[in-house]
Amino acid sequence: MSYCVNCGVRLDASLKKCPLCNTPVIHPNETAVPNFPSPFPAGKGQVETVKSRDLAILLSVSLGASSVVCGLLNLLVFPYSLWSLYVIGACLIIGTLALPAFIHTRFPLFGYLLLDGTAIALYQYMISFNTPGQRWFFHLALPITALCTAAALSFAALIQRLSSSFLMIGLYFFLELSLLCVGLELLIRRYTGAPLCLTWSAIVLAICGVIVICLLTILSRSRLRNAVRRRLHF
Amino acid sequence: MWKRNSPKTWYRLDLSAIVYPTLQRRDFSSVYRLSVLLKEEVRPALLQQAVDLSLNRFPTYKVAMRRGLFWRYLEPNDRPGPCVRPDIRNFCMPMPFKSNQRYLIRFYYYGRRISLEAHHSLGDGTGGMYLLQTVTAVYLRLLGHSIPNGGYVMDITKQPDPEELEDAYMRFANAGVRPPRPSGKTYRIRGTREPFYTFNVITGVLSASALHAAAGKYNATITEYLNAVLLYALLQKQQEEPHLHPLPVRIAMPVNLRRFFPSKTLRNFITMVYPSIDPRLGDYDFAEIVAHVRNYMRYYINEKFLRGDITTNAAIKRNPFIRVVPLFIKDFFVRLFYTRVQDKNSSAGLTNMGAVQVLPEMKPFLERFDIYMGIPYSERTNCAIISFEDTLTVNFGSCIAQTDVERRFFCQLVEDGVPVTIETNRNME
Repeated sequence: MSYCVNCGVRLDASLKKCPLCNTPVIHPNETAVPNFPSPFPAGKGQVETVKSRDLAILLSVSLGASSVVCGLLNLLVFPYSLWSLYVIGACLIIGTLALPAFIHTRFPLFGYLLLDGTAIALYQYMISFNTPGQRWFFHLALPITALCTAAALSFAALIQRLSSSFLMIGLYFFLELSLLCVGLELLIRRYTGAPLCLTWSAIVLAICGVIVICLLTILSRSRLRNAVRRRLHF
Repeated sequence: MWKRNSPKTWYRLDLSAIVYPTLQRRDFSSVYRLSVLLKEEVRPALLQQAVDLSLNRFPTYKVAMRRGLFWRYLEPNDRPGPCVRPDIRNFCMPMPFKSNQRYLIRFYYYGRRISLEAHHSLGDGTGGMYLLQTVTAVYLRLLGHSIPNGGYVMDITKQPDPEELEDAYMRFANAGVRPPRPSGKTYRIRGTREPFYTFNVITGVLSASALHAAAGKYNATITEYLNAVLLYALLQKQQEEPHLHPLPVRIAMPVNLRRFFPSKTLRNFITMVYPSIDPRLGDYDFAEIVAHVRNYMRYYINEKFLRGDITTNAAIKRNPFIRVVPLFIKDFFVRLFYTRVQDKNSSAGLTNMGAVQVLPEMKPFLERFDIYMGIPYSERTNCAIISFEDTLTVNFGSCIAQTDVERRFFCQLVEDGVPVTIETNRNME
C-alpha cells in the first residue's frame, strides 16, 4: 500500500500514479513493481443500439403497398402512360434514404451514400421512360448524380478519416462546393453544346477560395483557432 | 404468492420522475448505481436466478417506459430479463428506453461485487437499496445461507404493499403556501469534457468513526461536514481561476423525505436543498463554512420547509392547463428550463445515503456498499456517499478530465486527520 507524497492519501495497490495529482508512486526499495488487480474491470461497454423495427416494418409496408397499388392501377385502370413509375421511384428513394434511420447495422456510411445515389439515378431513369428522348438522362442527369454522389462520398471520407472539428468541416465543405459548381457548369455546357469555360462557377470558386484561405489561416494559428472555437461553439 | 398473471396495469411517473426521461440524450441518462461488495466471488448463474426471483416483488422496477399524448408512463414489462452481465469500466452508461429488452435496470457482477444500475425515473436510492439488498439476500439464500426478511430485504413471496407503489409527493404536497425555488447563477466548474462513453470515478474509502470524530471537532454531522468540505474545495478552485466576478458556490443535495413523511414508497421521494456560500460577502475560512452549512441544514431540513418545497414542485403537475399540453411541448420547455436554469443552479451535487441498515444475519457476508450518482448532465462533478459498519465510501463521478475538486476535497479530509484510501477507474498508465 502506497501513499501519495503530494496529497497525503493512501493509494489502492493497483495504482501507479495518484489519480488526484498524477504524482507517480515510487518505492525506492522495490525495483520490480508487482501488478495488483484493479477494483474496476478493464473492459469498456457500449450503449446498445436500438432498432426501430416497428417503424421500419410500417414504412416498408406502406411504401411497398403504394408502389404495388399504383402499378396495378396503371396497368388495369389508367394504362395511357407509365405514370406509376413516378410513384414507384419516389417510394424507392424514400425507402433507401430512410434505411439508416431505421436499421442500425454495421453497414458503412459509404455504402448508404452509394445506395442513395443509385436510387436517385434509378428514379431519373424511370422518368426518362416518360420523356421523348433519353439523351438528357445519359448526358446530364446521370453525370450530375454521379458527381454529387462522389462529392458526398469524399465529404464523408474526409470527415471520418481526417479531423471532424467544425472548422475542418467548413474547409471541406467550401472546397467541395467550389469543385462541385465547376463540375456542374462544365457538364451543363457540354450538354448544351456551349464552349467549355467557367463563368458563374468561377465566381463561386473565387469566393470559396477566399473562405478556404481564411479557414486555413485560422487552423494554422492555434490562438486564432481557439478563439473562434470558443466564440462559435454550439 | 405473487401471481405472474395478475391484471396488466400501468404506473404514472412520480413528480420527480417526470423530468428524467425528458433529459434523456444520446450521451446522457439519469442513471445511478448501487454496489455491494461481498466476501466471496459472485456466481453469475445464481445471481441471475436471484434477480429473476426477486424482481416480481418490485413491480415498479419491472417496467418499460412508454409515451402517452400528455405524459410518459411505466408499463409492466414481461420480456425476459434483465440479464446479469460482467461489469464494465465506464459504468452508468446511457440507458436508451428501447434497449435492454426495455428494462430500465441493469445488474452487473465483477469479482466479489454485485451492482445495480437503475434509471432515476423508477425510483431513488432508497428504492434501489431495497431491490439490491433483496436480490443479495435471495442470492445468499441460494448459496445455502439462512437470511430472514426484514429491513431492506423484502419478502419475495408476498404481494407488494400498494403504498410501495404510490407517488408519495402528491399525498404530502399540501402546504398552504408555495415558497419560491432558490435561483441565480452559481459558479460552474471549468473542465475539459471527456469523450463520449467516459465516466471518471474517484473513490475515497474512509473510516466512518474517524470522519465522525473530525466532524465532531466542528460540532457538525458527517453530512454537514462533507458538504462544507466540498463547498470549500469549490471555493478554492474558483479563487484560483481568473474570475472578474466571483459567483456563489452552491451544492444540490437530495434529502430523503421518508425521514419526515411516513411513506413506504419505493419510488422517488426526495427533494433538493441547496447549501451555498457567497464569496462576494467576504472571505470564509473552513470553520465558518461548516458553521454556515450546519445552520442552513438545521434551519431548512425539517418537515415544514420540505412540505412547502414539494408543494411548489407539485403545483406544476396539478395545474390543469399544463396537464393538457401535449408531451412534446412539455418536453421542450422542461428541457429548456433544466438547461438554462436548473442545471446552472448548483456547482456540484452531493448525496449521502447515510449508514446502510443491514440485517445482522447478512452482515457477515458483506464488506462494503458503494453509490454513484451517474454521469452528470453538464461538465461538473457529483459526489455520492454511503457507509456500512465503519467503512464509508465517497464516490466522485464526473465526465471531465480535471480532478482539482476531488484533490482539494480529500486533502482537506487528510488535513483534518481522516485517513483516505483512493481508488479510481481512470486509466493511470
